[in-house]
Amino acid sequence: MTDSENRIEVQSLSLSYGNTAVLKSLSLPIARGKITVLAGPNGCGKSTLLRAIRRLHKPESGRILLEELDIAKFNDRALARQIGLLAQSPSAPEDMTVEELVRLGRYPHQSMLQPWSQNDSTALEAAMEGTGVAHLRSRRLGSLSGGQLQRVWIAMVLAQETDVVCLDEPVNHLDMAHQLDCLDLVRRLNVDYGRTIVLVLHDLNLAARYADRLVFLNDGVIAASGTPEELMTEAMIASVFGVQSMVITDPVHGRPLCIPLRTGPAHNKGDADAARS
Amino acid sequence: MGFALSAPALSTVRSGPLARPLPLIYAGLVVGLVIAVLASLTLGYKIYSLEQVWQALFAFDGSETAVVIANLRLPRAVIAPLVGAGLGIAGVLVQTLSRNRIASPDTLGLNAGASVAVVMASAVFGVGSLLGLSLAAAAGALATSMLVFLLAATAGGLSPIRIVLIGVTVAGLGNSIVQIILTTNEAQLQQLLFWLSGAFVDRPMALVQSGAPIILVGALIAIALARTLDALQADDSTATGLGVPLVLVRGASFLSVSLLTGAAVSMAGPVGFVGLVVPHAARWLVGLRHKLLIPAAALIGAVYATTADIAARFVIYPVEAPVGAITAVVGAMVLLILLKRRAA
Repeated sequence: MTDSENRIEVQSLSLSYGNTAVLKSLSLPIARGKITVLAGPNGCGKSTLLRAIRRLHKPESGRILLEELDIAKFNDRALARQIGLLAQSPSAPEDMTVEELVRLGRYPHQSMLQPWSQNDSTALEAAMEGTGVAHLRSRRLGSLSGGQLQRVWIAMVLAQETDVVCLDEPVNHLDMAHQLDCLDLVRRLNVDYGRTIVLVLHDLNLAARYADRLVFLNDGVIAASGTPEELMTEAMIASVFGVQSMVITDPVHGRPLCIPLRTGPAHNKGDADAARS
Repeated sequence: MGFALSAPALSTVRSGPLARPLPLIYAGLVVGLVIAVLASLTLGYKIYSLEQVWQALFAFDGSETAVVIANLRLPRAVIAPLVGAGLGIAGVLVQTLSRNRIASPDTLGLNAGASVAVVMASAVFGVGSLLGLSLAAAAGALATSMLVFLLAATAGGLSPIRIVLIGVTVAGLGNSIVQIILTTNEAQLQQLLFWLSGAFVDRPMALVQSGAPIILVGALIAIALARTLDALQADDSTATGLGVPLVLVRGASFLSVSLLTGAAVSMAGPVGFVGLVVPHAARWLVGLRHKLLIPAAALIGAVYATTADIAARFVIYPVEAPVGAITAVVGAMVLLILLKRRAA
């Protein structure tokens, strides 16, 4: 594996909240220009890992390399020009306008000596156009629907023009249509804009549908990683999620599709252990 | 495009502030301020003409009229806009810092802290001079902001809700201490009560020399933070993701707020509600970007305080009302309207 394949390299990362170990010496390469989806049961540490990659949590030990440079050594704005974040349930004042919010994406590109420039205007307009929110620019956030609001947040991250974009459960609280709409937009960030995407998703079937690489976390360690086809097996799902299921191939997209049957351990303990290793 | 505008939502929402002609708004505010200051010089127990004002300020002849204008009217026509501007900016900072639209420097306990210091200086150390009390007020506000900042920073990393909770607690504590000292200190009750309600009357120009530069420094810090404060309006995770150094920015904002409020309270005592109401008016006029918001809040605060000071001369004419009472009455009404509008 050459360095140029991986945009980010998580190395032996350990992290705790108080006395509770959340990530346990976890290592993970994040492939350049791909969509990597982190999935796993509640409390497995997937959001924490995502936030650590964006340096919202300080590692206890281990490090995270961005193109061979430790992210701990970046200054705040420099890192924000490399890695963008759409936080879980982000918030902003209800009376803020769409344009005011999307503008925030340009924050790391400006400084006292470098006020708002033509570049910033271009990026702002491109982000609003690209996400289809330009016609909403003067609307207040409080007047938008959930789906529109999520588009506006994605526009803000797009305006940030970071090569890496982290999204923490971006489709929570969205209905089915808006979930697809939002994730299609995320895929466009990847395909049309060439961004490296790291995504935390709860829904396994959505994860399988949009992921280039799927990572299962369980109890603070990587349970498995690979393509959706490699990971979405009945034994693996039983072992990681504790759910007996049936995995079929989605007849439309050709991706694996999990049909949950009941909670409970795997039929065959040996299979589950084999899958875990 | 997958998203159509839904007509009912559109009809209930005012158009955004971006459509407003900004230069016109600022020009209007500046004109309003000039008119307010001139009115403050001419209107009062006696009404003077603009010529008399001009003469008293630029061709002082020692007449009684000239003395009244130069020594009594001029200081308050300077102090009121300065204090209003300072509190207006401080209000914007506190509301952004706490992500709470009904927060103000009072919420952080700064006025209560200043009051405690003044009452203590008077009761314990026998300070009677206005200058002494003013210094005590500024020191009290600064000390309180440091206390609140440290308490909020020790655990919880300066989270907005913690800042407000600690501020409100400190304010409550401070106000109780003031009450206790006042009930045991009847001799100076009259003077202290007047001070505690805030006023621009009978303030010497000397206060401006110390207060104005501090307000200027506080305002410059606020302006320098403007872009970062924009990003701080989003949640902590998002702000960090944008590259905002949260603790640094909150520390600098606290410093600015305590300078602005400390200087304001030293010049006029605790003038309530200015810092609460002015930011709302400013946001309504120019939107949420601090680069536009801070100058607008300064101008609106200046006009508001100056106008309130003029009103204070007439509401119980011929006696002066404390200006703090005027700003509180007007401010409370505005706040109720805002809350009602939000609930609707």
